[in-house]
Amino acid sequence: MTIIETAQSPALAAYCAQPIFRPGPDVYITGNPYRRPIGPVGPASGFAVPATLAEFLGPGQLAAGRILCNAYESDMILLPAAGLATAKDDFDLFYGDEIRRLRDTVRPGLERYAFSFLDDAVPAPPVRTLDDLQEYFLAEVGGAGAPADASGVNPAVDPAAPVGGTMRAITECRHPEEAAGLHLIQLALDALTEASAMARNLGGSYGTEQSELFKIFNDEFGYGVYGAKHSTIFKEMLASVGLRTDLHAYWNFYLTSSLIGVNYFNWLTEDHRGMFRYMAAVTYLEWLFAQGFADTGVMLRAVYGDRVDAKYCDEHAHIDVHHGRMTYENLLLGLARAHGEIVIPELVRGIEDTKLLLRLGDEDFRAQIAWADDLAAHTGTRTDARDDASVTTLRPDDPFTTGVHDADLLVEVEDGAVHVHAWATDRPHLLEKGDVLHVPAHRLHGLKAASPRARVATRTVETAERTHDA
Amino acid sequence: MARVIVIDLSRHNTVYVGHDRYFVLHAGGPPLLVRDHCPHRGGPLSLARPTPDGRRLSCPWHGTKVGVSAVRRGCLPMVRSGDEAVVLLPDGTEPVSVLRKEVLANLPAETGPAC
Repeated sequence: MTIIETAQSPALAAYCAQPIFRPGPDVYITGNPYRRPIGPVGPASGFAVPATLAEFLGPGQLAAGRILCNAYESDMILLPAAGLATAKDDFDLFYGDEIRRLRDTVRPGLERYAFSFLDDAVPAPPVRTLDDLQEYFLAEVGGAGAPADASGVNPAVDPAAPVGGTMRAITECRHPEEAAGLHLIQLALDALTEASAMARNLGGSYGTEQSELFKIFNDEFGYGVYGAKHSTIFKEMLASVGLRTDLHAYWNFYLTSSLIGVNYFNWLTEDHRGMFRYMAAVTYLEWLFAQGFADTGVMLRAVYGDRVDAKYCDEHAHIDVHHGRMTYENLLLGLARAHGEIVIPELVRGIEDTKLLLRLGDEDFRAQIAWADDLAAHTGTRTDARDDASVTTLRPDDPFTTGVHDADLLVEVEDGAVHVHAWATDRPHLLEKGDVLHVPAHRLHGLKAASPRARVATRTVETAERTHDA
Repeated sequence: MARVIVIDLSRHNTVYVGHDRYFVLHAGGPPLLVRDHCPHRGGPLSLARPTPDGRRLSCPWHGTKVGVSAVRRGCLPMVRSGDEAVVLLPDGTEPVSVLRKEVLANLPAETGPAC
């Protein structure tokens, strides 16, 4: 793919042009946590006009998500497992003066672009008092399938509960291991740096809530024992099913919604005005995570059998029962008690934001696995399409990246053969001369030549304008 | 070969044996040298507060209630004479050190309903 010329600012153009942010030939990026290709840099507005809810999965949000992820993580310590000597030049670049200057210049505008839609998309329930907040929160988690028990705290998990929703959808895929792998990859975006966003809220001086958050952080970091650190046991889970454990090895396969979701928490902790929203969002997530990770463990064992090391899921199914109670009692209600009604609307906002991002992320993931699971069914011969063919010649060592489009596309191989990478599988879909693949709008994909030279024509399908359900 | 140390209870209430920490617990009767380790996740029981009934310690990490009787069962053998106490340590070669720390577990029981 090529970089699209846009009206982007000189600083943004300079940031994206850094060598470590340009695509390389590899589908997976291993051994170097500083290489983070941004890919096509839309939208034409140059990110000056905030994305709407309808544009949530568009190419602008994907690019903004990648850039913001780079920006936030350049504030974290990341080192290559094989030693710094393997990537010293990229280390110097990633943390260098120029990139930090450009990052600080472009970040606020990108955050406005990426997150402003939440202002209109989430409701503002009339929650004003501490009692209102308790009633509202317990109603919300009850509605999400995790009601409080008789003592007012979240119940212990039911490991035998039948799984539904996305976890069940994964098990019902034709290629469940690829679908489960894609799910683990979305988790890896955050889990390999687990609680690093939380760490930004540990410093300072803000009362008992600070100490309560530290206890949770202490759990996430395994009480200082490397083998118990959650990111360590997450790596063991990845390795047990044959997935790479390098940070962002699967950078090209992070879905737009996953990037936005993780960036949301980094944004709220980078800009400390977001701390109340963050605390409430963490409370809501921790409450739901206990059963959620129990379900994830059930799914993984159904897909991979005994070979999966699901200790990470078991750990969260256990500890998040505590975290749900601790965050609810000591962060959400604690902050409301300490600071009064002035902060309650912001606490509620964090929960409403999170609810929406979870739903949008779930929809994005399920749409991706539904399409990627059966690319053969989406492959045929040429059909009616706009006469706007964009013809590209690909070679095996060309830079590889993935992207999304706002409209449905037809990808036709006019000569040679290409591999379609729609999820992180070592068995990509092969398109040969004359094959045409339908790529729905917003579906993440990348093309790589499977012959010494391949010519590919891409056309836009005539469809009614797509909108995202609010 | 068993190891024995002598500590001055007027100056010390904590013993490190390698990475294992013990603290002097006053829970009625003679003081006990107990392991500073919640069986749930290893939380520091020395920073626990007694429950209102005084029978359990509420771990500061996750609120887990640990029975004092269970803590007592894991104490190190200790013979006290005045402020001087002779302690029988576990076998091993780990370095031993003694010091004084704040021990919240010896505070009065929390007010409020027992749970």
